[in-house]
Amino acid sequence: MKKMIAAIALGTLLVGGFLFTQDNQPTDVATGESEPSILKAMSINTSFDF
Amino acid sequence: MEIGSFIKLQRVKQGMTQEELADGIVSMSYLSKIENQRTEASPEVISMLCTRLGIELDSDKDITIKEKCENWFNMLFEVNDKKEITETYNELSELLALVRSDSLMMFEIHKIRYFLILGEYDNALEQINKLNEVSGSFDSLHLFYWYKFKGNYSSLNSEFAQAMRMYKHAEDKLNQIKLDEEQVADLQYTMAVTHSKLRNTLESIEYANKAIDLFQKEYNFIRCAQCHIVLGISYRRIKMYDKAIKHYNLARHLGELNKSKQVIQLTNQNLGYLYSSVGDSKEAIKHFIEVVEDEKLEINERLLGLTNLIKEYYKIQNFDQATKELERAKHLLQLSTDNVNHRLYEYIIHTFSYAISEQHEQFTSLVMEEFLPYLQKRKDYGNLIVYSNMLAKHFEKVGRYKDSVKYYKLANLTYEEVVNI
Repeated sequence: MKKMIAAIALGTLLVGGFLFTQDNQPTDVATGESEPSILKAMSINTSFDF
Repeated sequence: MEIGSFIKLQRVKQGMTQEELADGIVSMSYLSKIENQRTEASPEVISMLCTRLGIELDSDKDITIKEKCENWFNMLFEVNDKKEITETYNELSELLALVRSDSLMMFEIHKIRYFLILGEYDNALEQINKLNEVSGSFDSLHLFYWYKFKGNYSSLNSEFAQAMRMYKHAEDKLNQIKLDEEQVADLQYTMAVTHSKLRNTLESIEYANKAIDLFQKEYNFIRCAQCHIVLGISYRRIKMYDKAIKHYNLARHLGELNKSKQVIQLTNQNLGYLYSSVGDSKEAIKHFIEVVEDEKLEINERLLGLTNLIKEYYKIQNFDQATKELERAKHLLQLSTDNVNHRLYEYIIHTFSYAISEQHEQFTSLVMEEFLPYLQKRKDYGNLIVYSNMLAKHFEKVGRYKDSVKYYKLANLTYEEVVNI
């Protein structure tokens, strides 16, 4: 019985830990590298300012 | 779009309650049934409700509106003239306020993207909240754009994990609808960029390759170039430098063919970063200078190039050049106070100014008390590693070993978080 409770507790901790890391993914990590915009096709005539 | 959903949308848009709309025409519960498509009302009732909402029912006008709407939707993807987009938007808003059109719901959903393009993020959020009420009646095509644009909103707010969830929902809708290949490619390209932001390198490569295949078929070379840049970044991250350089060169070539300064300079920016990361400062500086010298480029992009250039000069201990570039960066920064990264650049510039002029107290106080907490709050882990390392090295140099260990440890822990060990 004790083993079962310990196994369930450990399992919960592992799943919880996994979910926590999933939700704490790093966001913008650019340090000088720069991805193109998701909104515009770049052109020399562009007047967008984002 | 079903008439019930249309009436509900118009009522919500005008801030009218069900009681106000139903008054004297039908009971409130019957109106609720009409709106939720649980009953079919007679044409007379529909006509009376539309009259109260101030809307015409004219099918000829609807065809014109549909064409105009489709034209405007396309503008939101390819045309770069803000004025033209706004003018068409105003014209359509006026038309759709008066005439019942099947295009209305699609127009309302595309308004999210429109506000994002104009940089009006609060309006985009307000539109999302407004549409939430009627999202239960969306068909698969509506849902595709709904998820995609909600993802765009999250992307532009740097919430990339949330954005990816939305893009995956949109992707799930693809097998239920028929879309132009370019639209599919646009979603794949957006997902490639978002995976890159999340450092999911292999996924980023996969989606960028899928998007390139489709953009090539459509001869959309600028979009192909953008995909090559994403691939360049991804291959650099997994240290396949030759492949990364090949993709950057392809992007630059396409940029030159299409006379796109932005593509060319974005390629230079990233090539500079690649050479810097492999320790070839001479090549890195050459590429950063090309970005910095281009006065036609937006200030934000030039500032990114400048801060990279300053870092590189600092790295090779060419403090005279670094100081010269710092002055130029300060001047540029003054010209762009509304820049979203204004504070970040300000911190970087001051950090290097203090470091070069050996103002130790100002340097440690700025980095410890302001800059690092700011980066932690922004979850900007890349910069956090760079600047906590810089501070740790400084402490080591002046013999404050305990403090040095503390910041090396911070850099190390942050690195573990980035690579998800």
